[in-house]
Amino acid sequence: MTKKLLVILALVLGSYPILAQDKTVSGTITDASDGSPLPGVNVLVQGTTSGSQTDFDGNYTIDASEGDVLVFSFLGMKSQSVTVGSSNTINVSMEEDASQLDEVVVTALGIKRKEKTLTYAQQTVGGDELTNTRDVNFVNSISGKAAGVEIRKSSSGPGGSTKIQIRGSKSLSGDSSPLFVIDGIPMVNNRGGQPGVWNGVDQGDGLSQLNPDDIESMSILKGANAAILYGSQGANGVVVITTKSGKQGTATVQVNSGITFESVIETPELQFRYGAEGGAKESWSYTKGDYGDNYVEEYFDTGEQYFNSVSVSGGNEKTQAYFSFANTTATGITPGNKYGKNNLTFKQSTKLFNDKVKVTSNIILAQEKTDGRNRAGYYNNPLTGLYWFPRNLPFYKYKDNYKIFDAARNLDVMNWDEVIGGPDHLQSNPYWLLNEESQEDKTNRVITSLNIEYDITEHFKFQVRGNYDYAVKEFDTQRRAGGNTTTVAANGNWLYEKYDDTSTYLDGILTYNNTFGDFNITALGGATYQKTVFADGVRVNPPAAQNQLAYANEFNFNNLLGPPVQIESSPLLDRREKQSMFANVTFGYKEMLFLDLAGRNDWASTLALTGNDSYFYPSVGLTVILSEMFSMPEAISFAKIRGSFASVGNEVPYNRIFPRHKINADKSVDFNTTRPFTDAKPEIIRTSELGLDMRFFQNRLGIDFTYYDINSQDQFIEIGQPFEDYTSFFVNAGEITNKGVEITLTGKPIVGEDFNWSTAINYSRNKNTIVELHPDTQEIGQGGSEGVRVRLVEGGAASDIYGFKFQRDDQGRIILDDVSGRPLKTGERELLGNAEPDYILGWSNTLNYKNFGLNMQINGKFGGIVVSQTEALLDGYGVSERSAVARDRGYENINAVQNGSAVTQIDPFTYYDAVGGRNGIDEAHTYDRTSIRLAQLALSYNFKISQWEWLKNSSVSLIGNNLFYFYKDAPYDPELSQATGRNDAGIDNFNLPSTRTIGLNLNLTF
Amino acid sequence: MKNITYIFIVTFLFISGSCTDNFVELNENPSQIDDESLKQDFNNVGAFYPPMLKNLFGDQIEHNLSHDSWVRHLATPTVFVGGINNTTYYITWNTYWNRIYDQIMSPAAQVTKVAQAEDYPVFVEWAKLIKVLGMHRLTAYHGPVIYTKFGQEPATYDSEPVLYNAFFTQLDEVQAVFAANQDYTGLGKFDASYGGSIPQWQKLINSVRLRLAMRLSKVDPALAQLQGEKAISDPAGLITTNTDNFLISLYGGIFPPYRISFGWGDTRMSASMESILVGYKDARISKFFDPATDDTLYPDHPDFPYKGIRNGAELVAKGDRLTYSNISSDFENVENRRFFTAAETHFLLAEAALRGWAGSGNAQDNYEMGVSLSFEDWGAGSAAAYLADNTSTPINYDDPKASGAVNDFVSRITSTVAWDEAADNEAKLEKIITQKWIDGYTNSIEAWVDHRRTDYPKLPFNYKNDSNAEWGIIPADGFLRRQVFVQSQRENNAASVAEATSFLGGPDEIGTRLWWDTGGPNF
Repeated sequence: MTKKLLVILALVLGSYPILAQDKTVSGTITDASDGSPLPGVNVLVQGTTSGSQTDFDGNYTIDASEGDVLVFSFLGMKSQSVTVGSSNTINVSMEEDASQLDEVVVTALGIKRKEKTLTYAQQTVGGDELTNTRDVNFVNSISGKAAGVEIRKSSSGPGGSTKIQIRGSKSLSGDSSPLFVIDGIPMVNNRGGQPGVWNGVDQGDGLSQLNPDDIESMSILKGANAAILYGSQGANGVVVITTKSGKQGTATVQVNSGITFESVIETPELQFRYGAEGGAKESWSYTKGDYGDNYVEEYFDTGEQYFNSVSVSGGNEKTQAYFSFANTTATGITPGNKYGKNNLTFKQSTKLFNDKVKVTSNIILAQEKTDGRNRAGYYNNPLTGLYWFPRNLPFYKYKDNYKIFDAARNLDVMNWDEVIGGPDHLQSNPYWLLNEESQEDKTNRVITSLNIEYDITEHFKFQVRGNYDYAVKEFDTQRRAGGNTTTVAANGNWLYEKYDDTSTYLDGILTYNNTFGDFNITALGGATYQKTVFADGVRVNPPAAQNQLAYANEFNFNNLLGPPVQIESSPLLDRREKQSMFANVTFGYKEMLFLDLAGRNDWASTLALTGNDSYFYPSVGLTVILSEMFSMPEAISFAKIRGSFASVGNEVPYNRIFPRHKINADKSVDFNTTRPFTDAKPEIIRTSELGLDMRFFQNRLGIDFTYYDINSQDQFIEIGQPFEDYTSFFVNAGEITNKGVEITLTGKPIVGEDFNWSTAINYSRNKNTIVELHPDTQEIGQGGSEGVRVRLVEGGAASDIYGFKFQRDDQGRIILDDVSGRPLKTGERELLGNAEPDYILGWSNTLNYKNFGLNMQINGKFGGIVVSQTEALLDGYGVSERSAVARDRGYENINAVQNGSAVTQIDPFTYYDAVGGRNGIDEAHTYDRTSIRLAQLALSYNFKISQWEWLKNSSVSLIGNNLFYFYKDAPYDPELSQATGRNDAGIDNFNLPSTRTIGLNLNLTF
Repeated sequence: MKNITYIFIVTFLFISGSCTDNFVELNENPSQIDDESLKQDFNNVGAFYPPMLKNLFGDQIEHNLSHDSWVRHLATPTVFVGGINNTTYYITWNTYWNRIYDQIMSPAAQVTKVAQAEDYPVFVEWAKLIKVLGMHRLTAYHGPVIYTKFGQEPATYDSEPVLYNAFFTQLDEVQAVFAANQDYTGLGKFDASYGGSIPQWQKLINSVRLRLAMRLSKVDPALAQLQGEKAISDPAGLITTNTDNFLISLYGGIFPPYRISFGWGDTRMSASMESILVGYKDARISKFFDPATDDTLYPDHPDFPYKGIRNGAELVAKGDRLTYSNISSDFENVENRRFFTAAETHFLLAEAALRGWAGSGNAQDNYEMGVSLSFEDWGAGSAAAYLADNTSTPINYDDPKASGAVNDFVSRITSTVAWDEAADNEAKLEKIITQKWIDGYTNSIEAWVDHRRTDYPKLPFNYKNDSNAEWGIIPADGFLRRQVFVQSQRENNAASVAEATSFLGGPDEIGTRLWWDTGGPNF
């Protein structure tokens, strides 16, 4: 690899253009809209073939004579002609040409490139689009704005994590999350623990720690082709975040202030007219009563979110700086759920040594704290007890007296057991959980980076970057004595985790750019070093139902009892180092043909001992701009086709090759029983994509079409089967494919003085297929709930959900048991469907009328299924409204058959007891995932007050998120996710209900 | 300029590309212990043994919600998984397999290599013995298991005849090496059961051989007698006094049934224990269980304030039966648990006597000695009066928390405790196995084997039977006969499971009888 790189370098260094003219003219070309330098602008002496191009900082030099006319041209900008005078400096500020639309975009490693030269699909979302609806988790707001990006947000409330997948699931073992990059440097987005069917809480991820107001734009590089320069981390796509910088000129102060209110859209449909009989905990009486029905609604609060940020930016020719501070304070819909975040950012850049060297540094500080994040699953989740409460009993008695005094112990204990006739591991008094079981998460994080760019010559630039990202995370759950005995021991339970996440990143890139007549070459080569250590810390993990604390309700290390209480090193520890070298060459011909070649070699520590820890992978891409090549009808303003192929190697997880032995809580040794995998190979993901980009009618209409085919092989699979001296072993096997299309339609139906309307439609469709697993394994589990299983099966797809269906006869009628009359379920689990949607549509609209602006985002997901264990249990407990409607009616309608004769009516209890509960028939609680919603709406008014000269452009807006559904099948929001990791896709088990937010945002610029 | 560039590049490449030597270390988890470190204090060999011994026993779903219920020792008040689960003959849990392979078979295979390489022959045999201890329990669940082909590709199952012959051969090998190393003290540090005493382990070997021989007494009487007599006549002797009892340390952990009973409220006395212990006026009852905390529950026997739950009961709410008898709170502070007792040896010898095995002695003496040793072991005082009782019989059971006849049963046991030398072998066997069943409390796998082999004690059937075609159907007057093969094996080793099923001679279902469970007459 080193050799290859040097050969490329030698080639480009060795050739040098030689041109002779009278004098040398130089200058800087900037973008008139924001003053940023424009790279790649063509500079031509009119009437000659003598030309040049601007470098990365917009600088050019050209040899010319006085009186010559220099023509500056750049796709998407109005060309300008300037006559050379006596001065040797000509600076030009270029304006956007409305008739051409061609952007400079930020690609991998922060390299700016003209979009038209790209050989792969990429989409950019502007900073305002992330902030104009003020979602606490800003990434959620890109949903529907980029084709091929699938977003599911956690139901855990403010500060919760987000599941993002670009072009489907590509690995049998990983979660296929894309890589996030800030200003060219990979960012740590380490997801904390995720809840399962039983219990747990979403521990957030790294994205929520950013201040969305610091973001200038976000580019989504969808394929491995785009991401090859990031290596395996980029195999699942890359989200490149560009942060704001200080700008030359007078200082600008921006103040943003927002307030939003979050309210529940719908709780499950519950009944409050039939109670329980005989002290049962299920409300299955057939006698109507008049029972309180407000307590579920009253349980949920209106969440409030206050957001304030201020930023100051400015600078002179040599030095620019940007400073911002933001504070977010929020409460969630779960009582006691509080979220607070402070962000501080300082970024500055200075030019030194005749502007040859530019030093940029950036410091981001973030502090995040969450109290009382809602839990999902059965255990310690307030929602189970809240929803199931026997209707005939007085809820307020237990709400107001959620604890009672236990004279024998002289302390307060939970008051719930008599409601349900003794302890039940699945439910507790919701108000006891809220008040007596606290949960606090804290993150303190600092990200610092330094970037030094050195313009060695007109054609060569060298850049070195370093980044250090350090976060301390703390999770503290304290369950007081007297709670649910399944999870809380006599003296209470303490779950505590504190660990550091650190990441060190270094890279160096040498870039060469030159034009030879009609040919342009851009070449870069570099090396990176990255070391990450995640979850380096300790955990207190209580032993099951065994006293862990010496004194009741003292939650600290001094109070921990001796062995076998588990104080252990964090089990999430992950340490890895990767070194890489890469090179990329782009050849351009006459602005119409671009050939892109790239290669990368990684050395990964996770593959140490295998002999395969060094691996190389290439990519190649070609772009043809047809509109430059041929003369096109006037209606076609731009036409480009692109194609590319890339192969990316993916390393295996940490500490899998040769795991050692674990020391147990009782100090015995838990010997490793997984066969050392010393012949592991990296997983290989191959991506091919073809695209067409066309603009019509002076760019009033545009279409971007991409087809991709991703093939993942040599997957890392664990097989649970005795082999040699071990009980499981790993293999490289299997094949998954993702094939899909992405279409983006953009249009400007109305362009006028006062009124403008621009619109975009994003469509994407992905087909995931598990072509092959290992011969020794028929399926790989991806979690599940009760009867439901998410499985990877040969011939199936990732996120296939299996469960029990109704037994039916050949006429499709449900078969009832001969004796009991209960619907029968299938003996084996059958495929219920796939959790991923068939296709995704997003429709964005921006309307401007004079000072008024309207942004509207409609999102639709079509196809796919979700399965609700919540609804199954509500049926089993007789608290679902449908079970009461059936009781009102006296029967439930059914198309069934018993003993050979048709049955159309069935006793409500017989039916719901059979289909509901924990052993029910999952088919009855499987819903279409399809939903169409008004995802975002923002009405803004821009103003300038003439008397106040100091006030620049400012705006006030009315904003709304997730306002309503145009269509939805499931009785809850199918887009909310219990867990955002790889497992449990599409399963709901007592998640929080869906919410809408409405608010106001004020933006002032001084 | 060019030169500067070259220098930059070369320097950078040199710095970044120079060193991947730390990769191996970085990819290790510093909290894990490696083989090199374990060599200190000889833990690379010895540290394997305590966890292997500890994991001979499983926990809640492996034992308490499986054969503790199937053989009617303990019962759950909890409506697990909607009341349809292992205890009602619908398999929801099946995990003992993983424990045995992960915690015994794989570590034993690893330590055997180390002990062989470093020349510790006694440790090699000790590992072999622990494998037999673990696998003779696992085969009692599934029948055919992966044993002699463990570590081979593909890992195929042994039929039960192959398996038992392998057990006997391996016990021979272990006994031979142990007999030659009776003064060896190397095991001491790692042996919480016998403090490293080889002669004590030799007694266990003979006793386990006798246990295994008796399992085969119906299906292969010749082999059974051969092995049984070998066990009896071996000079190292059997476990015949309570000080010889083979106990497994809890290694500082809590006794799992105590946690399940008091911590989770998920287990209580069984109705059968109530029926038999109260009926026989058995003094061990107060050592096994705590009195019920609701004194209205036992109007039919106010002198015995205990109440049990029927196994496979119709349950509505967990809270309904939490006031029934917990296991004894004395278990809170126990440090070990029973694996093989002197009482069991005597019950085995009593049955051996009925079967005419040489050296087994007199059936009555062995029976009465077994009961007396059990009383002594449990601290229940003298068994003299108990052994003389020829009138008391187990009582019928009434569930006061269920209406009408729900969960109630009439005891099928008419036998008394007192020995009746005039009775036939069948009647004598019933007494022996019934007492063996009582003594097996908290160690119920062998009681479950005996019940399937001999049909004693005459236990009540499930009140609630949710067995269906998915795992196999158990008739209303029948019992679960085995645990099915585990799902991961059905999926990942399908061909071997198919072969194992052919060894079973019936479908891979819970109603299929194991090899030694012939269903034929006991004599």
